This record gives sequence, C-alpha cells and structure tokens, in this order.
Amino acid sequence: MALNVDFRLKAPANTPVWVDEAKCKSCELCVEFCPTGVLEMIPDPHNILGQMVKVTHPEYCIGCKECELECPDFCIFVAERDEYKFKKLNEVKKLKGEA
Amino acid sequence: MAFNYDYYLRTDKMPTLWCWGCGDGIIMKAMIRAFAKLGWDKNDICIVSGIGCSGRFSSYIDANTVHTTHGRTVAYATGIKLANPDKHVIVVAGDGDGLAIGGNHTIHGCRRNIDLNFVLINNFIYGLTNSQVSPTTPKGAWSVTTQYGNIDPTFDPAELAKGAGATFIGRESVAEAQKLERLFIKGFQHKGFSFFDVHSNCHVNFGRKNKLANAKKNMDWIEERLVPKAKWDKLSPQEQYELKKQGKFPRGVLYQVEEPEYCEEYYKLIDRVRGNS
Repeated sequence: MALNVDFRLKAPANTPVWVDEAKCKSCELCVEFCPTGVLEMIPDPHNILGQMVKVTHPEYCIGCKECELECPDFCIFVAERDEYKFKKLNEVKKLKGEA
Repeated sequence: MAFNYDYYLRTDKMPTLWCWGCGDGIIMKAMIRAFAKLGWDKNDICIVSGIGCSGRFSSYIDANTVHTTHGRTVAYATGIKLANPDKHVIVVAGDGDGLAIGGNHTIHGCRRNIDLNFVLINNFIYGLTNSQVSPTTPKGAWSVTTQYGNIDPTFDPAELAKGAGATFIGRESVAEAQKLERLFIKGFQHKGFSFFDVHSNCHVNFGRKNKLANAKKNMDWIEERLVPKAKWDKLSPQEQYELKKQGKFPRGVLYQVEEPEYCEEYYKLIDRVRGNS
C-alpha cells in the first residue's frame, strides 16, 4: 500500500539548517542537543521568553539532525546530504581549533 | 530535504498550545514519521485521545480523531476498532488518563488483545491541572498534593500491561526520538494490543520544584532512569528488583508474542453463529 505523498521539504540554497521563527517557542532544546554549537540563543525582547534561536555557525553543521528530531514545535529543519555538503566532525574540530 | 509533516497536520491550529520544550511534540513528530514510513493514508488512521495535555493530539493530527471523556479512551477505541477492523486505531493517553482514571479500561483492553496501539505518555505528574500526584510519580518527588515528598509506591505500567495480557510492550523516552520512531514502527505493525510506555518530560509542572526546571535537564534525568533491554536481561532477578526499587526501568521492546486478535475472533464468531462458515 503505497502512499502518493511527497514528504520532502526542499532546503533553501546553500543552507544546512533553517528555523521557522513564527512557530518557535525558544525552548533551547535544539541548542542543547546540537553537538557542535551551530545554534545559539540570542536575546530578543519581541519574542516569548525574551530570546530566539539563531543559526550563528552554519559552517559547523555535521548534519546529524538531532535538532530537527528533538524540536517539539515543527520549526527547525536540516538539509539532506545531497543538498548541502556537511563537514566531518574532525574538520569541525580543526575549524574550532580544538584538534 | 527535510521531512515535511504538513500532510498529517492541521496546520491552521499551529503553533501548538503545549509549553516550550514539551515532549508531546517530539512524540507526535515520531508518530507522524512512523505513519509516513508505514505508508498509512490519513483516512485510515483514527486517533483517540482523552483529557490532559495528551488530549491535544486529536486536535493537531489531521486524521479521523476523537477527543473523548477522561480515562475512557480505550473504551471508545474498542468500539471504533470493532466497527472498522481495517482502520489503524491509535490511543494517546497520559499517565493520569490511562493509569489512574482509565486504569480499568486499559487493563481490559490489554486482556482482550484487541488491535489497538496504546501510547502512554508518562510524565510522572498531572501536568495539565498543575502538578497533582499521579500513579507513576517517583518516591520522594514534590507535587501539589504531596508537598513534603511523595510516599506512595509507584508501579511499572509495562508489567501491568504484561500481566493484563498485552502482546507488544515497549518503552522509550523522548530524548531518543529516532529510537522512539523505530519502536512505533515495530509496534504499529504488530497485530494485537501494543502498549508503549513513553517517558516524557514535564519541566514546567513536574520540574519546577524537583530541580528539573529545564527541558534538557529533565530529559537527562529520564535517560538516567532507563537501562537498555540487553543490559537488563543480563542481570539476575535480585539485581533487577533492586534497580526497580531505585526507580530504574528497562527500555526497548520488552515483550512480544503472537496471540489470537479480538476483532478476528469476534467476526469468526459472527460467521459461525450465522452459519456462514
């Protein structure tokens, strides 16, 4: 029984992670679950809880999708591997100067 | 390409009414991904939910939905399933809804082994009505009705379901969404009563005075309480008993057997009595 629905959501060009800010409730789960520090909470007085998630370091993204899986509000998305060339974990460490 | 959830959602009702960081949203997403992977049409799915934060599932998922009275989810779902044996019925209940007020219905649903998928969202408190003690509140925890610490012993919902006769029992937490999705796929395919004990966070009402007032902190606490099934099986019964006393539970697919399903037996009975067979 095949379902004739396309569940794929196209990523904007050259973007690893993007946020739908209209739905976000600033719960910080994506920031806490991200293993490389791509996301950051920025103070924003116009939003609930006085902060909003921003993608501050897109170059660190390794495409693990942890933020997308753990977001309870359907507002953060990660691109597929064929749409964006994600870095390997050791490359990210080099970029941060940790390795 | 990220996953698009819109086919199964009533997007005009978004954003959800749940608190920031609520595990209910993570469970709903895992459930929708499981539906998509199984290729279920939304017209073949029925979501039955009771009262509580979990009751909002029937508002947000765009399928055939029933928002029923408090604790009577399994009673309604049994009727729906018996009338439409080809539909997939998902029951969503909280720990107060499914174990306290509706405990009796839950055990009789398990006993009949009717093909329902019972998702118990276990957040250890009555979250919607502001932190009253529930049957699964851990010992010593603060709640509005146990101001000096809970002294009630808690029970294990999975053992209850097993004793009552459910044929698929799984336990997972919201902190591992991918594992939760895989558990849902396995359980939804099972013919018979599937019981999922999903440990969820309620950092707003459970966490506020139990030093877990942050979603991630609450999830870490839930993860600490779960032991993988493979590791659990290696322990002796005495060690398992001691771990249970400390409030630790096994995770994964805990129990799965094949038993005659209630709808099939019921329609066979009708055929026999009418003399069709």
